[in-house]
Amino acid sequence: MFKLLKKLTGRKQKLNRINLKDTLEDQSNQKDQSVSRQIDVNIERIKKIYQIPDNKDVKVREFRIGGNGKRIAIFFISSITDVRTVEDSAIKPLLQETDMDAEIDKILSTQNVTAISEIKEVVTNINTGNAVIFADYETKAYAFECANFQGRSVERAENEVLVKGSKEALTEKVIVNLSLIRKRIKNESLIAESVTISERSRNEVFMLYIRNVADDKLVGNIKNRLQNLDVDAIQNLSLLEQYIEERRLSLFPSILYSERPDRAASFLEDGHIILLMDNSPDALILPATFWSFFHTPEEHYLRFFFGNFVRFIRVIAMFITIFTSAIYIAVTSFHAEMIPADLLLAIAGSREKVPFPIFFEILLMEAAFELIREAGLRVPNPMGPTIGIVGALILGQAAVEANIISPIVIIVVALSGLTSFTISDISLNYALRIIRFLFILSAGLFGIVGMTSLFAVGIFYLVSLKSFGVPYLAPMTPNYLSSGDTIFRRVITHEKFRPGYLKPTDMKKKSNGAVR
Amino acid sequence: MKQTEGKIGIREYVAIILLAVGTKLSDDTPTLFFSSAKNAAWISMLLTGILTLIPLFFLIKVFSVHRDKNLHDLNLHLFGKVMGNILSFGMLIFGFAALVLDSATYVNIISTIYFTKTPSIAIYVILMIVCGYGAKRGIEHIGSAAWITLFYLKTTLAFALIIAFTKGNAKFLFPIWGPGTSEIVKTAASKISIFADFYFIGIIAPFVSTFKEFKKGTFIAFVIVLIEITLALIIYVMLFDFTSIEVISYPFHELILYISIGFLNNVESMFLPFWLISAFIRFAFYLYMVLILFGGIFRIKEYEFLVPVMVILVIFLGITPKNATFTVPFLREQLLMILSPIFFILPSLMWLIAKVRGDFKNEVKKDM
Repeated sequence: MFKLLKKLTGRKQKLNRINLKDTLEDQSNQKDQSVSRQIDVNIERIKKIYQIPDNKDVKVREFRIGGNGKRIAIFFISSITDVRTVEDSAIKPLLQETDMDAEIDKILSTQNVTAISEIKEVVTNINTGNAVIFADYETKAYAFECANFQGRSVERAENEVLVKGSKEALTEKVIVNLSLIRKRIKNESLIAESVTISERSRNEVFMLYIRNVADDKLVGNIKNRLQNLDVDAIQNLSLLEQYIEERRLSLFPSILYSERPDRAASFLEDGHIILLMDNSPDALILPATFWSFFHTPEEHYLRFFFGNFVRFIRVIAMFITIFTSAIYIAVTSFHAEMIPADLLLAIAGSREKVPFPIFFEILLMEAAFELIREAGLRVPNPMGPTIGIVGALILGQAAVEANIISPIVIIVVALSGLTSFTISDISLNYALRIIRFLFILSAGLFGIVGMTSLFAVGIFYLVSLKSFGVPYLAPMTPNYLSSGDTIFRRVITHEKFRPGYLKPTDMKKKSNGAVR
Repeated sequence: MKQTEGKIGIREYVAIILLAVGTKLSDDTPTLFFSSAKNAAWISMLLTGILTLIPLFFLIKVFSVHRDKNLHDLNLHLFGKVMGNILSFGMLIFGFAALVLDSATYVNIISTIYFTKTPSIAIYVILMIVCGYGAKRGIEHIGSAAWITLFYLKTTLAFALIIAFTKGNAKFLFPIWGPGTSEIVKTAASKISIFADFYFIGIIAPFVSTFKEFKKGTFIAFVIVLIEITLALIIYVMLFDFTSIEVISYPFHELILYISIGFLNNVESMFLPFWLISAFIRFAFYLYMVLILFGGIFRIKEYEFLVPVMVILVIFLGITPKNATFTVPFLREQLLMILSPIFFILPSLMWLIAKVRGDFKNEVKKDM
């Protein structure tokens, strides 16, 4: 009796073991087959690939066509598929069909039906939210589009806030993003090519450009680079950015990242290329110059003087961010004669009880500022502002009273910290914050000579940078025909040309004036 | 749009010359003029400029028929392999000596006026590291760096000079002929080599995008530089008078020590960074030219690998002279003395040989 039971269980285990022989090779073998004439074989295969019924949201529905009684099986993943569409445009018409000879693709009332003959394609279709229909005695399967991925609706831009101008931001759904951009460029030459960039997750990137404007060579180059990526998965554009950029160790970003569809559209009009992707509430704009990081769209939405005033403020803010702390160190420790006597005495007086050298004092405070900033970003939302205020105010006040920091240092560091927020681009913002520390270090070592040396090296470095073949400081240097939108912008009717460094096929944007 | 890989436009080219040659007004070059031409140094300067036009004209003329050659290739072409190489080597020696002496002067300025406690070797190392980095980046980027900083550098310079001008006394300019016309002419003739840079610029001639731009850029830059230095000389005299200016080594730095702006009494450290940047670009450019010439003579294509060696060499040679304030200007004056006739004669000689060889006939044929 026991022996028999043992035998039975042993056999079961053996059987299981055979079933469990589910190696990677085996799996890919399954996928490499073509669609069989036997519907049962196909159903078995797909079930095996998707591990139905363990895999809960992969659904299969088997039935017979109303008219000729042909066996049918529909596969789809219910969580990423619009189930209503499947029911109304596939299952219902098939069941209600009375004609004996009707073909399946004639019965389906969906927007498109594609016949496929490889299991691999079947799987890809199911994975991207489409439904696939198998029919008995047919060597093709039918796929139709009914994908419905869940996501946010279009919301307000949060990181690139504008007072004047559109408030929409891109979302995680690439179709929505495409629609937002197409809404702004209603032209047949806006091309949205799709490139699959990863092996396993089959992540798809949409490459947008305007034909007859964007340089074909550039388009080809970027497409090539995307196709040659050899990775399992690239989740979103922020990761893709790091894969395709040329200098991965450079402090300065070479691809612009924006969450605003209006910005993406205006770059497209200039001949840039935009990358969109599912799961990324943003667009990658390339090539990018230093100026595109420095600008915000608002400067063009505002009238000429107002826009340029903002630019002017930002230039000043950038210099304050980078240099204030360093200049304070350099001047007080190396060039004290520069400061007017009264101010010098005031500084000396406020430092009377402070036991640290100025360099250390600044470094301490800068580090504290960065800590508060980082902490403020990570604390749960309701506590954020409170922590920030406690951190900044109380800590600063207490530090002064405890004679650790002199009040002037607080002013200097707060100024350089606050002004850094005027740079809205997150990558450039980080770059500047790091550069600030380098300048502090150089000022501590060699005063103004040290700072100037670092600055000169920085300039040499900056001018030698390139983003996809475009010099980083173009069109300022090297000079190109363009609208001259660098530090300041021109009157809008005078911005006649597309940037020459992109080598656009069509240089001219508008004739002499917008009004004729 | 044309591809400009490895080439510089006219803006960058002019910017490089303005910074490389224009900066001479802020080192001890003015003193060389003042010591012999006294308060008429500026007339001497103008005369030097006019004299310089002659070799400059010949040089451009020669380059007009050899547009894709640099100075070294031209030497080989005109003087044959042996003589050409010897000539180029001589140029290399002079160029290198100028680089060493000029950088030693600049280090001396920094260490005597601004950083009296810092050992000058530290300053030298920093200066040359930055310049080496710039030279390694290549001519395109030196040009770009020059162009984006040019406006700010020249604005601050003009600012300093204008303030000094308002404090100066125009009567110091008289008697207008100073020590007499013969003295003025003699000074002009012996100091012509301060514009020898324009001869060395032939090394980068093929890097300028078109010959037309090279020609135009050279003349534009030359005129601006001449006016700039002449004005500076006038203002120095107006501010210091000739008796005292003879003993001042670095009039520009003395000038910015002298002036004050509003409530700020000591503004020299405000001008220092701007002056330093022009110095960095200047020596990066010099270093680059020396490297190109060196690479040309010894057939080294990857000249970038020579940068560290050259930098170290410059630092050690530059730091050697004891009492830099006196030795370096003396050596520099010697160098200028030797260089002056060479600079004056060589371009004419090159033109003559080109003429004899019949290079200019080819040009006519080509144009037809």
